[in-house]
Amino acid sequence: MLSCGNVGKTYPTERGDVDAVKGIDLEVPRGQFAAIVGRSGSGKSSLMAMIGGLSRPTRGAVRVEDTDIWALPDDRLAQFRNREIGFVFQFASLLPTLRIIDNVALPALLGRPRETKAAYRTAAELLGQLGLSEYVDAYPSEISSGEQRRAVIARALINAPSLLLADEPTSDLDEPTEIEIMDQLRELNRDRGMTLIMVTHNLRLAEQSDRVLHIANGSLVS
Amino acid sequence: MASADIYFEADGQRSAKPDGAGIRFLLGSLALQNLGRRKARTFLLLAAVAICSGAVFTGAVLMRSIENSMDLGFTRLGADMLIIPEGTLTNITAALLTAEPTDLTLDTSIVDRLAGLKGIRRTAPQLIFRTDLSGYGGRDESVDMIAFDPERDITVQPWLEQRLDRPMRQGDVIVGGRREEAIGAQLLLFGKPLIVYGRLGKTAVGTHERGLFVSFETMDGLRETIRQICGTKAPLEPNKISGVLIELAAGATTRQMRFAILANVPGVKIVGGETMLTSIRQGLTALLDGVLALIVIMFASSAAMVSVLFSAIITERRRELGLLRAIGARRAQIIGMLLTEAAMATAVGGVLGCALGVLLMRSYQHSLVYYLQNLGIPFVWLDTAATGFIAIACILLAAVIGAIGALVPAWRASRAEPYELIRSEG
Repeated sequence: MLSCGNVGKTYPTERGDVDAVKGIDLEVPRGQFAAIVGRSGSGKSSLMAMIGGLSRPTRGAVRVEDTDIWALPDDRLAQFRNREIGFVFQFASLLPTLRIIDNVALPALLGRPRETKAAYRTAAELLGQLGLSEYVDAYPSEISSGEQRRAVIARALINAPSLLLADEPTSDLDEPTEIEIMDQLRELNRDRGMTLIMVTHNLRLAEQSDRVLHIANGSLVS
Repeated sequence: MASADIYFEADGQRSAKPDGAGIRFLLGSLALQNLGRRKARTFLLLAAVAICSGAVFTGAVLMRSIENSMDLGFTRLGADMLIIPEGTLTNITAALLTAEPTDLTLDTSIVDRLAGLKGIRRTAPQLIFRTDLSGYGGRDESVDMIAFDPERDITVQPWLEQRLDRPMRQGDVIVGGRREEAIGAQLLLFGKPLIVYGRLGKTAVGTHERGLFVSFETMDGLRETIRQICGTKAPLEPNKISGVLIELAAGATTRQMRFAILANVPGVKIVGGETMLTSIRQGLTALLDGVLALIVIMFASSAAMVSVLFSAIITERRRELGLLRAIGARRAQIIGMLLTEAAMATAVGGVLGCALGVLLMRSYQHSLVYYLQNLGIPFVWLDTAATGFIAIACILLAAVIGAIGALVPAWRASRAEPYELIRSEG
């Protein structure tokens, strides 16, 4: 499903180049729930950004299924992200001026602009499945942080991606909400067979995954 | 298989092109709501564009009005120069409104040669002859008949005080200010019926006040009859004219042009115009050109201001843009959204500016017209249609300036990696 070959990322700084990720090799089979753990600045988010087509590796290749995603032209890469990868970010990533249902439908509309009705129908179904039916017309500021995170998960699922990337998906949530979000992510992985890669510094959360990958100083250590 | 090609080529269609109403509406909403979200900043942007557009709109309307007024006012004062055959005697006051009746003529080819000289803005040929055999009014009255080209004319039509509500055509005659024929009435000249198209104002120049003005086409139609009645006279030969009235371009002086004409067109006499009036006309033309340059500079500075503002706006929204890129927005969509936002804001600013301009002009209308008329310039406001056209042009220009101003920051933001944008504070 996912294959990283000698993937590295170097950031130029005023004090010289900094290797955030140092030539990582990684294989994640389809349907696996993998957790990447490491301390702040260990390179885990940079690795996830390269896997998700958000940040170009300085070296190496990332293949999702048979596609070398960084060999794609920019517009095709955007479309690939849209169709194949779902993102759950650690920050409140809903657009504040759009309703919850607009936020959820947005990736579908970007990908299939002529299917507006279908996009909104799917968005409403997903919000229903995640217990947010009553908030479809609400704005992000009108719902709680946990509900916002669930709306973000709905948005990540709207195009039925094969790969879900979650970067600290429960940061700044209270414990009951954290458990609830993790349950939903595990359920998606189990029931839909969706490959799930979660970046976290929380070992307790990582233990819920099928496989834990430790990263330190830009290298996988286990 | 998650091959990227399937999204572009499946079913032989490229349906992923973002041309749907839904996404356009959402991205448009984002642009509009972002403007509403930062009310103070949006207000400042609108105010700045409104002031600029208002100044440009007011300037353009006043400029065009003054230009029209100048055209009318100054052309009434006469031409800058008159070119006549060598040996012709002239009365200089009369000469700058019309050529003097004479048997000497010039070939019509001289008109194009003069028009080709640098420094000459307009050339107006005239043919004039005096006769007491026209049968005018059933009397043997001596009349000056002047043939002119209505398209090139600079000294006859500006004096029209009354005229039929249609363009002048063959068979029409314009009568001098002291003639009494009714407009639209029939006038017999050499036994041929002509229609009185208009009457000139009083100029205190005899030829102008008592002359009968026809187009060259009308004169051609009368030529054979006149020849039969008056006998062969030089002014009535085909392709002959009595003189050419000249209006100089901005920056050209009568002295320079006198040398240029004598060097290029031999066998002519040059009657110079009133140097002061020529200078005033040219000075005002240059001033209007300066105002135009100022307008261009104002719009350029608006574009720079919008660019700076949008750089700040985009910096503030980097995370939002990164998020849109992450979920599949293409670079063109990001640029389009930001340009739409800028164009919407500046177009609204343009509308407000034009409204402001109209209010200002209404407020100062009386004092402005009074002031200009005291200067001897008969002020003529631009008509409503032309004013509306300028307003629409200003609004569109404001929108285009907004889009141009936002283009560079939008393009730069679209080039950034989504992860770099997402990591930004905002």
